[in-house]
Parts: sequence; C-alpha cells; structure tokens
Amino acid sequence: MGAPQDLGGFGPFDVRPTAEGATIRERLLRSPPFIGLLALALLLLIWQWIAWVNTRVPGIDEIVRFMVTEMSGGSHGGALTGEFWAPLATSMQRYAVGLAIGVPIGAALGLLIGAFRWARGLFNDTVLVLLALPAVVWAFLAALWFGLSAWGPILAVVLTVVPFMAVNLSAGVRNIEPGLIQMSRSFDVPFGRRFVHLLFGGSLPSGFTGLRLAFMTGWNSLLIVEWFGATSGVGWRARFWYDALRYPGFVGWIFLFVILITLLDRLLLSPLERRAFRWNQQPTLTFEEEL
Amino acid sequence: MATVLIEDLTKVYPPTINNPKQVQALGGLSMSITGNVFVAVVGPSGSGKTTLLNIVAGVELPTSGSVRALQEGVPARVGYVFQEPRLLPWRTVVDNMLYVQDRKSDRSRREAEFYLQMVGLGDVADLYPSQLSGGMQQRVGIARAFLVNPDVLLLDEPFSHLDALTGRSLRDYLQRIWLQSRKTALFVTHDVTEAVELADRIVMLRPGGVTYDDISIDLPRPRRHGDPAVRDIQDEVLRRFDAMGAAVRFGAEGV
Ligand SMILES: Nc1ncnc2c1ncn2[C@@H]1O[C@H](COP(=O)(O)OP(=O)(O)OP(=O)(O)O)[C@@H](O)[C@H]1O
Ligand SMILES: [Mg+2]
Repeated sequence: MGAPQDLGGFGPFDVRPTAEGATIRERLLRSPPFIGLLALALLLLIWQWIAWVNTRVPGIDEIVRFMVTEMSGGSHGGALTGEFWAPLATSMQRYAVGLAIGVPIGAALGLLIGAFRWARGLFNDTVLVLLALPAVVWAFLAALWFGLSAWGPILAVVLTVVPFMAVNLSAGVRNIEPGLIQMSRSFDVPFGRRFVHLLFGGSLPSGFTGLRLAFMTGWNSLLIVEWFGATSGVGWRARFWYDALRYPGFVGWIFLFVILITLLDRLLLSPLERRAFRWNQQPTLTFEEEL
Repeated sequence: MATVLIEDLTKVYPPTINNPKQVQALGGLSMSITGNVFVAVVGPSGSGKTTLLNIVAGVELPTSGSVRALQEGVPARVGYVFQEPRLLPWRTVVDNMLYVQDRKSDRSRREAEFYLQMVGLGDVADLYPSQLSGGMQQRVGIARAFLVNPDVLLLDEPFSHLDALTGRSLRDYLQRIWLQSRKTALFVTHDVTEAVELADRIVMLRPGGVTYDDISIDLPRPRRHGDPAVRDIQDEVLRRFDAMGAAVRFGAEGV
C-alpha cells in the first residue's frame, strides 16, 4: 500500500502580492511604522505652530525642558521641585491593581452573560449602566465613599474595565457558530472542556477587543479620578501644574500619559494578540487591495 | 451490538419570522437498524435527513415518536460527521481531535494520530484548520468521529461540499475504515451513487420526511466505482425515485 495521497495542498498562507515589485518609496509609504511617525511629526508641527500663534500654549521645547527638570528633581523656581517617578509609580500601581481585579471579573461576567440566560437577565442591565456612566461620576462617588484614599482610583479602573470586558466577551460567546455548539453536544464534550476550548477560545477575538478598550478607558478614568479626587499620581500631578498655571507641566504630563498608553498597546497588547491569533492565517485585506 | 430504533418519529418546526407556516421535517418515520450494518438514508433536499440525524444524536428533540440508540441496552456512544467540517478554527487539528476524546493522556494523542493517519493526514496534526483544504478538513471530521470509538456512526452528506474527485476518494477512505471496524452506520445523502457504493441497505425518504422505500444491497466489498453490478442497482434506485416523483406529482400518497 502506497503512502496516501494528499488531495489538497497547503495553500499559501498569504495571498497578498509580494512587495518585490514595489519601489522603496511605495514600500515605505505603506509601512505602518513609517506612517505612524509621519503622523506624529505632523502633530508636533501643528502644535508648535499653535504655540507660536498663541503665546499661552507652551512650545515643544518648553515642555521638554520642563519635563526634564521634573524627572531630574530639579527646581521649577520658588519652592517647587521636580517630582516624576513617585506620581508615575503610584498611578501605575493603581492601574495594575485595577486591571488585575477588573479584567478577570469582567471576562467571567461576559462569559456567563453570553452562555447563560439567567446570567444575562441578572447582569446585562447592570453592565450596560456601568458602560454608560462617565468616569467623572466614579471620581466623585469614589471620593464620597473612600475619601481621598487609593481605593477611589482603583475602584474607578475596576468599574470601567468590567463592562468593556463583559460586553465584548458576551458578544463573542453569542457569535460562536451554532454548528460548533451542536458538534460539542453530539460528542458529549464535558462542560469544563467546552468552557475552555469552545466558549473561551471562540470569544477570544472579541475578548481582545475588550481588553484593548479596557486598557485605554481604564487608564483614562484613572487619570480623571486622580485629577478630581486624589493627592498623588499622574492625574493629580497634571492638575497640580494646571492649577499652578504652569502649562508646560500640565501638557507634559498629558503627553506622557498618551505615550505610555501607546507603548503599552504596542509592546504588550499587540504582540499578545498576534500570538493568540496564530490560527487565523487568512491575510486581512485592506480596502485598497480589494478594489 | 448496537441498535437504532426509530418509531413513528415526527418533527415539526414552529413558524418563524421568515416563514409564517410551520414546517414538517419528519412525518411519522419508522425504521430499525440492528447490528453492524451500513444504512444509507437517501432523499431529496429538505426531506428531513439532517433533522433525523440530529435527533438520533440527541442534539434536537422529536415532536413526537421515539428514537433509541442503544448499545447492549445502554445509550450508544455516537460519532457524528457533519455536512461541514465543524472544527474549532482556533485549535490545531490534533487538539480538535482531543477535544471530543474521552480521556486526556499520551495514549489519546497517539490514538488521535492513528486515526489521522488512517485518513491520510499523518503530518498535519499540529496545523490549524485554516491551513487545510476543504477535503482535508472533512477527513479530520471523519477521523474525529472514529476516534471516540462510537457504537453508532452518523454521517450527514460528508462529501456533498466537495468536488466529485475528492468526494470519490474520500468515499474510498470511508469504506476502507468502515470495513476495519464495521460500526453501525447511518449515512445520509441525496447522492444515489454514493449510497449504493457504501450501503448494505438504502432507506428512501420523500419530502415531508416519510419512508418511501427500503431496499437491501447485497454486493461484495470493497465496491468499486463504476462496477456494473453497482451501476445496475443505482439505476434501480433511481427508477424508484422517479416513480416517487411521479407519485408525488400526481398526488398519490406513497406507493
Ligand atoms: N431549525 C430549523 N427551524 C425551522 N425549520 C427547519 C430547521 N431545520 C430544518 N428545518 C426545515 O425542515 C426541513 C428539513 O430540513 P433538513 O435540514 O432536515 O433537510 P435535509 O434533508 O437535511 O436537506 P439537505 O439535503 O438540503 O441537507 C426543511 O424544510 C427545513 O427548512
Ligand atoms: Mg441536510
């Protein structure tokens, strides 16, 4: 008996035309990092121009100088000295704790809501209310409940992260192909295995969407809560300089905040997502390529 | 020894938003299968074939009547090959197999690989379904159904989405594997050629999900595509279906 013949070959994983024929200029223009840098440069240019026209807006150079002083703990004039690592570490810690609590709770809630009608009845409205409430509300409520302790900001992170995870994961579960559920039932696959491989595996794509949104909005609401109801952290520091009418400091901290969240997305979430989607070898076609 | 007893089985789907009339998928179907036979259920599209298998597999409930699939008196273990591959896209081929397997151990991975080899897919265990062709995915589905060591094998037009050449070659695979194990098999198709090549018995359904005819085929195995004896029986089955078409057209109830 000869070796069985393969009826189908392995199709090429990537059907996009190779960039072989493209010129360097074309390739550069299509490369996402390059476009990203271009956009950033443009943004800075516009900022600098506004600063030029409107003297109240600090220029880039001013902001950088201010932040260097802040980082090195130097003097800002008067009794004000730079303070950088302490607020940063405080915020990061609150953020990490908030995510560590909120992400699993939200994910579990989402899986339950997606999988069970009783859970849907029980939690769905609550989740939607949480989703609809702006972070400022948490800031004031948290200040009311906890005073100005660390639990206010942490709670705000938790409460923003939970609904984003829950909504996305439950949608993911409900989008699982019914045929796969039927298959699992016909083979009597035990509940635990179904939960891990079918429910969790199947809702992972929307889970990642949820995670990304959760990371973004969680960081957002942390800053807002710190702005209004904390005596430490990045948000507090930005407000401190805002109240002191030192706009380079205020803007510098906001920039820092944007840079941090971007780095987090690029360095942590994107690679994780790529890893989780190894199975999806279909290339994603962009609109222009489809035309 | 496995038995499948189907008694006066009806299935009526309630009206839906798109279809205000209720649909009768099965209308009093009775059939009994005993022992290691390969039974083909042949009927036109919409005659309730998938519904029948789903009820036997226990993933749908009958409206009335009863279905029992038993192995030595206890509920039979079912292996189901679907119309589509139905693999988890986010799990590798071997993990898809282990997903339905009873135990998890080194042995079960070896077993999974054994059945993959049997359908000629020894070297794709660690690939994802999206990396396989449609025919290969369907073969994984066949291997998966055999892996659970089923008492009753259910096959729902497993080759209907494939091109004729691939379909024929997979039929040979199926016949070969089946000859090694001789599980009680209920194979649903609208392809008479396929049914005659594979089955010991053909149950013909007509629209509305009622048995129209029931014939046994006593040809030696393995049967070859295009064998004159096979072709004669195919012609005979087709003739009976034509007669049914006429009967249905002229309003006669059954024959
Ligand atoms: N879930 C459902 N809800 C409502 N009607 C259904 C449902 N499933 C099947 N039907 C209807 O029941 C009838 C039988 O369907 P079934 O899928 O069993 O046919 P089939 O013989 O498998 O057809 P095919 O050869 O096309 O696969 C059809 O008229 C179909 O529209
Ligand atoms: Mg069908």
